[in-house]
Amino acid sequence: MKKKILSLILAGVMVMSMAACAVKKPGAEDTAKDGDKKDSKGGYELALITDVGTIDDKSFNQGSWEGLEKYAKEHDITYKYYKPAEKSDEACLNAIDLAVKGGAKVVATPGFLFEVPVYEAQTKYPDVSFIIIDAQPVKDGEAKLEDNVLSIFYAEEQAGYLAGYAAVTEGYRNLGFMGGIAVPAVIRYGYGFVQGADAAAKDLGLAAGDVSVKYTYVGNFDASPENNAKAAAWYNEGTECIFACGGGVGNSVMKAAETAGKVVIGVDVDQSVESDTVITSAMKNLGDSVYDAVASYYDGNFAGGTTLNLSAKDDGIQLPMETSKFTKFTQEKYDELYGKLKDGSIKVENDTVAEDATGVPAEIVKVELIK
Amino acid sequence: MSVVYFVIQQTMYFAIPLLIVAIGAMYSERSGVINIAMEGIMVMGAFVGIFFINIFQDRMSGQKLLLLAILIVAVAGGLFSLLHAFASINMKADQTISGTALNLFAPAFAIFTARMIQGVQQIQFTDTFHIDKVPVLGDIPVIGDMFFQNCYITTYIGIGIFLVAAYVIKNTRFGLRLRACGEHPGAADSVGVNVAKIRYAGVIISGVLAGIGGLIFVIPTSTNFNASVAGYGFLAIAVLIFGQWRSNKILMAAFFFGIMKTLASAYSAIPFLKSLPIPNEVYKMIPYIATLIVLAFSSKNSQAPRAEGIPYDKGSR
Repeated sequence: MKKKILSLILAGVMVMSMAACAVKKPGAEDTAKDGDKKDSKGGYELALITDVGTIDDKSFNQGSWEGLEKYAKEHDITYKYYKPAEKSDEACLNAIDLAVKGGAKVVATPGFLFEVPVYEAQTKYPDVSFIIIDAQPVKDGEAKLEDNVLSIFYAEEQAGYLAGYAAVTEGYRNLGFMGGIAVPAVIRYGYGFVQGADAAAKDLGLAAGDVSVKYTYVGNFDASPENNAKAAAWYNEGTECIFACGGGVGNSVMKAAETAGKVVIGVDVDQSVESDTVITSAMKNLGDSVYDAVASYYDGNFAGGTTLNLSAKDDGIQLPMETSKFTKFTQEKYDELYGKLKDGSIKVENDTVAEDATGVPAEIVKVELIK
Repeated sequence: MSVVYFVIQQTMYFAIPLLIVAIGAMYSERSGVINIAMEGIMVMGAFVGIFFINIFQDRMSGQKLLLLAILIVAVAGGLFSLLHAFASINMKADQTISGTALNLFAPAFAIFTARMIQGVQQIQFTDTFHIDKVPVLGDIPVIGDMFFQNCYITTYIGIGIFLVAAYVIKNTRFGLRLRACGEHPGAADSVGVNVAKIRYAGVIISGVLAGIGGLIFVIPTSTNFNASVAGYGFLAIAVLIFGQWRSNKILMAAFFFGIMKTLASAYSAIPFLKSLPIPNEVYKMIPYIATLIVLAFSSKNSQAPRAEGIPYDKGSR
């Protein structure tokens, strides 16, 4: 008897809550999460599709989202983000379908994962403009850029170069590079880091082999005890400074650095707030470039069909000098290097220069590849 | 020598959460309720604990805050596991399904709540809990270096919990009754043991321990909590099976898993292993291969509790 009453009550609660959901729904969606805003027709003009990260990953997706959000808020345009159900071409394409059905006119897709989905979508939705970051539409090895797609790349190798140069100038001799997955953007950071360290070593007049870089890709973008242990092992072995280049991997490395009393270089966005151990971050100005791209669409000069390669010349990359904890690497030195990167008197090789990091041209820095 | 110390210290970070969570799962399973919700309860525990630390770290710090967080997490884990207990004991639901429901619910809840309250899903915390060296004990040669330097108080709490838990299940009246309910609830009932009550106790203990396990899993390994414990709840269940539902074997299994995990990540810093031509994937595979082998050899006379997963029905006695 007791049980009967109990199950009746439970059933009642379930029905009630379902009813409550059903009633609430239309109203609830208007005040959807994270400041999404709907227009009168119930659509969202600006859309961002995330890759495996989230819009608050303190990194890649967040940077892009902030740019889109800023423009939308300033100009009172409706916007929303979508997250693919899983990491596959179909799921990403579905998310694009959803965004377009939801009224999107501009779809921003940050990440390597969107090569194939955008390749498909650009012909499927010729009236929609796509901004694809860190990638270009490719399928089966064939790249094709329609007039409605703007593809943005960054010269990550230059940001990595600055970080490597700064680290060696600061007096660190045993460096580490811990990348997430070996996608081109991560490789560019890493190769630039090695070259920058080498250049600084040369300028300081160090002997060959004085500076070493342990180099690895951990194979994921997560904060995990495995990544933490790996970083802790490096620090324990004498590594002084690790360039943590891969979303959540950074948090694991920072933790290890806190324990060991060593330092970390952050990536993509200014990560100095994450931990006191972050001495600087190799940044690319994701927010600004997404903002500019969206602005160009509304100003009527969307550069569809082109590929932008943002480097120091376009202020596409930087180190956040205000929040960096440098003692020897000065603002003047930074400005000098940045100027040279701008006018091309310093040339940094990108990911096409070598098969793996041991092949990166370096005279003084010794690269130790750890598989 | 410092490499050896390092490996042992690092192994603790892996092994202690696994140990506590596996012991928790043992209590639930030996009372007769399968609890694959350990992952979800860990997430919930870590979420509540880190959130608590995040709020109160301005007002207090150090071990006092950590101990308080552990207490709160224990309560939260226990409460959360009540859902599973209610579904599987009162409602006689399929225990695997209700456990899965908890696993799916917990991360979603953590993300949703964190975003509602603070806008982003990662919850930051400042680590004021790390102990460079335990006074006095840390000065003992060799042993001090191994166990009392570069550590967290959670290591000793974890070992304490293990000792108490192992004693209780083996040597007390409650432990005996709990085991009886997992083997033959009908017999236990016939001599006046309240099967539902005992099973509730088993599940709640598993929730308490899994909650604590979640918190002490996150603290030494990250600077924030991102709604995930990286599959360690499931790994703990593998430890439980590898340990054949017996506390002493679980202890060994947890440390075996911990050492293998450490070697897989840190082998590049160990000169002896670095010179061996074994890729690190091999170390990653070893715990799982070992689990499979143990299962293959012991499946005939598995030590799993007989009545595990079967809702107790008085009528079928």
